Amino acid sequence: MRVRTRTWFSFVVAASLLFMAASRFGIFDPLEDAVLTVTGPVESALRDATDPLADFVTNLTDINRLSNDNRSLRQANERLRVDNARLAEAERDLRQLEQLSSVRQGSENDVLVPASVFLREPGNLRDMVAIDKGTSDGVAEGMVVLTSQGSLIGSVSGVLEHVAWVTLVTDQTSAVSAMVQSSRVQGVVAGGPDGTLTMEFVEETADVKEGDVIVTSGIGGRHPQGELIGQVVEVESSPQELFKSVHVEPLADLSRLEDVLVLHSFLPLAADAP
Amino acid sequence: MSTTLGLLVIAFAALVQAAVLPSFSIFGAQPNLVLALLVAWLIVRPRREGLLLVPAAGLMIGLLDGAPLGLAMLALAPLLLMAQVRDLRLVESDLLPALVLAAVGTLVYEAIVLLTLAVTGERLDWLASVLDVLVPAAIANALLLIPIYGLMRLASLDLHGRRPAF
Repeated sequence: MRVRTRTWFSFVVAASLLFMAASRFGIFDPLEDAVLTVTGPVESALRDATDPLADFVTNLTDINRLSNDNRSLRQANERLRVDNARLAEAERDLRQLEQLSSVRQGSENDVLVPASVFLREPGNLRDMVAIDKGTSDGVAEGMVVLTSQGSLIGSVSGVLEHVAWVTLVTDQTSAVSAMVQSSRVQGVVAGGPDGTLTMEFVEETADVKEGDVIVTSGIGGRHPQGELIGQVVEVESSPQELFKSVHVEPLADLSRLEDVLVLHSFLPLAADAP
Repeated sequence: MSTTLGLLVIAFAALVQAAVLPSFSIFGAQPNLVLALLVAWLIVRPRREGLLLVPAAGLMIGLLDGAPLGLAMLALAPLLLMAQVRDLRLVESDLLPALVLAAVGTLVYEAIVLLTLAVTGERLDWLASVLDVLVPAAIANALLLIPIYGLMRLASLDLHGRRPAF
């Protein structure tokens, strides 16, 4: 029996590697597209039906995190109250408040394709969502994806005929060239395994503070300049370190994405472009 | 419970896994229903059923996730070997080996996914991935296994008209 199990194990491993190799050449794309298209409505219905239960279980087991969130929100609330009082007194501060309201101005030439999120990557290590638009709608790999309010949520990392996978900015493999909107300090906003965002490579002497708005810098050509990413919630600095640790909170609630916009008019530069 | 029924159950579990479980979080990790179900099946049911269900489950997950088809199958494959722990009969109960298998199986599953990401050149934070994802996921799946194991034990023995022995 053990010999048979080991033989079968070897066969399964070999078949897996073969499937993965074939998958890289898109051989299974039509099959995956068909399965996702057919199961999409069922999955959406299942998710809608179980959302209240999911909230209950998640809140029950994440009391520590909720407690920390509560503390952070209280601090943020206090800070916003102070900000609000100041903003009420001066027109200049009022304009800053409008920037924080995260309404994207965009360009007149922007072509946006609306899409719906119907599936979330079921694994723990990736932060991806599936949208109901694919190559048949003009969606291509690398295209930037925004919320309906216009803040950046990620970019298309895989595309089938009727479905596309979007890697969120919070995915641990994601890195976006970014800058602080007010001081133009540049860095890279990277996702973490726990779904958090950190702005890396920010010099110790750089002018970054809590509440600053972070936007894309456009460096590297993978994102257009000026797309809203999030807001600085914490800045850790130490004289011994070369860089500050800047924690960023996405403006959009990425755990509950429903309707998104694919920025069709911006084509990112290929990674191997000169 | 035949292998056909097993395939149907696994297919439904894969659908639930993709549609519902991303909204759930136990200790910050998303439980893996398919893995927990497979572990329970491998421990409770005859070995030959599990031999087919493991790769089939991998394929079903692969069709519903954003990773290359075959990765989930590869990550689940070690369960076939690890399930042999049942034959060692180290303890009287099957529940303890099942719990260990769920936790270790999760660690191996996530480690294979992590290694594949690394091989494909993705930027990874290994320490944070282990501490924030792998360990909580192992605990979450071990907890999820308990009710699944109980239900499967009851269902399995009910077919034979015997009392369950946990």
